[in-house]
Amino acid sequence: MAKERIWYVEDSENMDQICSRCRMCELICTFHHHGVGNPYRSRIRVVALGKGVDIPVTCLNCEDAPCVNICPTGAMHRPQPDSMVIVNQDVCIGCGMCVNACPIGAVILDPGEGTALKCDLCDGDPQCVKYCPAKVLKLSGSAQFSKHRMKGFARLLQTQTINTETG
Amino acid sequence: MNRFQGGYAGRILYVDLTDGTLDSRPLSRVFAEKYIGGRGFSSRILLDEIPAEVDPYSPRNVVVIASGALNGLPMPSASRLVTATKSPMTGALGDSISGGYFAPELKYAGFDAIVITGASKEPVYLFIKDGEAELRPAQHLWGCKVHETHQRIAAETNDEDTHVLVIGPAGENLVRYACVVTDKESVGGRCGIGAVLGSKRLKAIAVRGTRDVKIADPPRFKKVIDDYLISIAGEAWTESLRRLGTPFLTEHRQTLGIWGAKNFQSGLVEGGEKISGEVFRKKFLVKPLGCMACFIRCRRYSAITAGDSPFYTKGPEYESIHALGAKPNITDPETILRAHHLCDEYGMDEQSAGSAIAMAMELFERGLLNRNQTDGQELVFGNEEALLYFIDKIASRQGFGDLLAEGTKVMGEKLNADYYAIHVKGLEVDAADPRKQETRALTYCVATRGACHLRGNPYIDEFIKPEEAKAYFGTAAVSDINSLEGKGKMVAWSEDWVTLSDLMGICKFAWYRSRDFSMLVKRGLDMVAEAYQAATGIPMTSREMYRCGERVYNVEKIFNLRQGFGRTADYPPERFFKEPLPTGPAKGAVLNRKNYDRLLNDYYEARGWSPDSGVPTPEKLKELGLASDEIK
Repeated sequence: MAKERIWYVEDSENMDQICSRCRMCELICTFHHHGVGNPYRSRIRVVALGKGVDIPVTCLNCEDAPCVNICPTGAMHRPQPDSMVIVNQDVCIGCGMCVNACPIGAVILDPGEGTALKCDLCDGDPQCVKYCPAKVLKLSGSAQFSKHRMKGFARLLQTQTINTETG
Repeated sequence: MNRFQGGYAGRILYVDLTDGTLDSRPLSRVFAEKYIGGRGFSSRILLDEIPAEVDPYSPRNVVVIASGALNGLPMPSASRLVTATKSPMTGALGDSISGGYFAPELKYAGFDAIVITGASKEPVYLFIKDGEAELRPAQHLWGCKVHETHQRIAAETNDEDTHVLVIGPAGENLVRYACVVTDKESVGGRCGIGAVLGSKRLKAIAVRGTRDVKIADPPRFKKVIDDYLISIAGEAWTESLRRLGTPFLTEHRQTLGIWGAKNFQSGLVEGGEKISGEVFRKKFLVKPLGCMACFIRCRRYSAITAGDSPFYTKGPEYESIHALGAKPNITDPETILRAHHLCDEYGMDEQSAGSAIAMAMELFERGLLNRNQTDGQELVFGNEEALLYFIDKIASRQGFGDLLAEGTKVMGEKLNADYYAIHVKGLEVDAADPRKQETRALTYCVATRGACHLRGNPYIDEFIKPEEAKAYFGTAAVSDINSLEGKGKMVAWSEDWVTLSDLMGICKFAWYRSRDFSMLVKRGLDMVAEAYQAATGIPMTSREMYRCGERVYNVEKIFNLRQGFGRTADYPPERFFKEPLPTGPAKGAVLNRKNYDRLLNDYYEARGWSPDSGVPTPEKLKELGLASDEIK
């Protein structure tokens, strides 16, 4: 089984299937893990770049994960070769080295507990995927995502071919 | 220490701008249980804190900013922020309720509400973070438009997660209908909240929080979320809103012929197809947006990227198109979008601005205004340049803009042209022309903030089944759209029920939009009572919950009665009684005074208010726990 993670998959053909910055992913993530309302403890965050660009960002589940490599206590670990990197809260000392090392900012220190938080895929049933109103978050391996991108590119090629043919 | 198991942050921040004191007080549990949150908090605090003689621009006027009971939780569409004050438009209770992210953030910062009194000598802004608050100088921001103010404060706080409520130049210049704007996008438009903040020289409120909003019973709350989502999935209304946003209503108005076109002289917009929801989607839509936790996503994010002055803007709403298109008879969508953006940038309510300009256009065409008075402008219907020109002038109160900035009620008084001022209690009629049906007119006219289509839901008679009508309103006739029987009771019920959405902080589009009455009861009472209990741990039946809505409505009525708004203030503008609609599908529609009188009587009776004065009877007050000794 290939390594899986949450992908942001917007549909270029459908304007309504695009992140609309409702932040339900953030709210449901914290609710699932901590039973409270607080988007700032979420392991997925919607990054607003302005001019209508809003992108949800969460752990990429790197093969050679810098957060695992740098963790001084072994709290940050990958239980199985193909599984998601997770944090053992009992061992985490909240040093924040993983926050430093993560190239995309997907690890945070809990504003309450001070220890590391990151996506754990909710034991295989990611709540952000389940509750995203726009259905733009998907749990999959890289192959499926590549295929999705290829499809978009193929559509583009098709229109270009048609345009060339019709002169 | 938070005395609540969940739902509430547990504190209210009191700000006195005159001496600069900031006081964080615990939220009383008794108060929370009676008034729930949001508009319940704001209305009761305004009633207690503002004596009748206080002028809206006096330092003694009070502004309340309040979160709803469910804001900050993963409750679908729980994003609404209440801003309230004694309105300079009406002199009555005024509030404006908007979406976005500010209301939840206020909870994360540790407060359920902010109560602002006094007036600062110098411009200031309020900064709140995790239970702490401070006033900061804002001299350097005075005069800045909304976007710029927002950007500069966001930069000063050095934290992108800060959410900011600001006023624009219109608020500073006391344009009577100046609004508040949060995060450059979410507009609390009506009733002139921004003007009152301007009079207090409070330029902005920035809020940032990282605290949890607790949930008393998470598994029970999860079940509510899931049930709620199932209940809104598949509603036809939800689909239309996602695709076109509120502008989908343009087609509805045109088909029924109930626009307020040309200052309510016509129910049809000639060339209305040029400003339909589809047109705005095709021409300008960048993408749909959702407020916090929203599954409807009706918000439009639009842009004009070509030409000399490109811009991005949130909007337009149906009401933008109504006020800046239909009313002044403008059918160029780009002008409407530009005018909408300008109003947002200056921080003024586009509905009142468009209404004021449309009224002036009618007066100009009737010869009651001339070029000497209108800065030399040919102020006729359809004049796009004049619309944009006067939006500028209103914001700065220059030339004729100074009078337009007063709103239609004052314009009517000053120009001796009351008849052409289409308002109730001073707030201009929005949404649609109510001439076809007295029940619609009643809803607009008894609304406690002045003319408003959101204070009730009179459309129930379009779909309620006879047996449901009998059970809830005592007569099957309520299911007959052409009958007046039982309609007073229906309108009163719908008001109390809709009010609950404003207490919870849930958007009305996720609340009352269904064409199945049993679903309205289920979603709007049962599920919400369940959500409230799961979140707060406070026992609350559907019946008790409904009572809270009724209590708040009565508190608002008492506020307005104290300001002198009696029975005569609950009547529509004369035009709706005198002039039948001249063309279109609703041709000939006109309100019947006898019918209206009767409906108002029935409504007062259903509410337990005296038929002559609209004053709640002692029995009613007692029943609601509002016995007179409790009211200062």
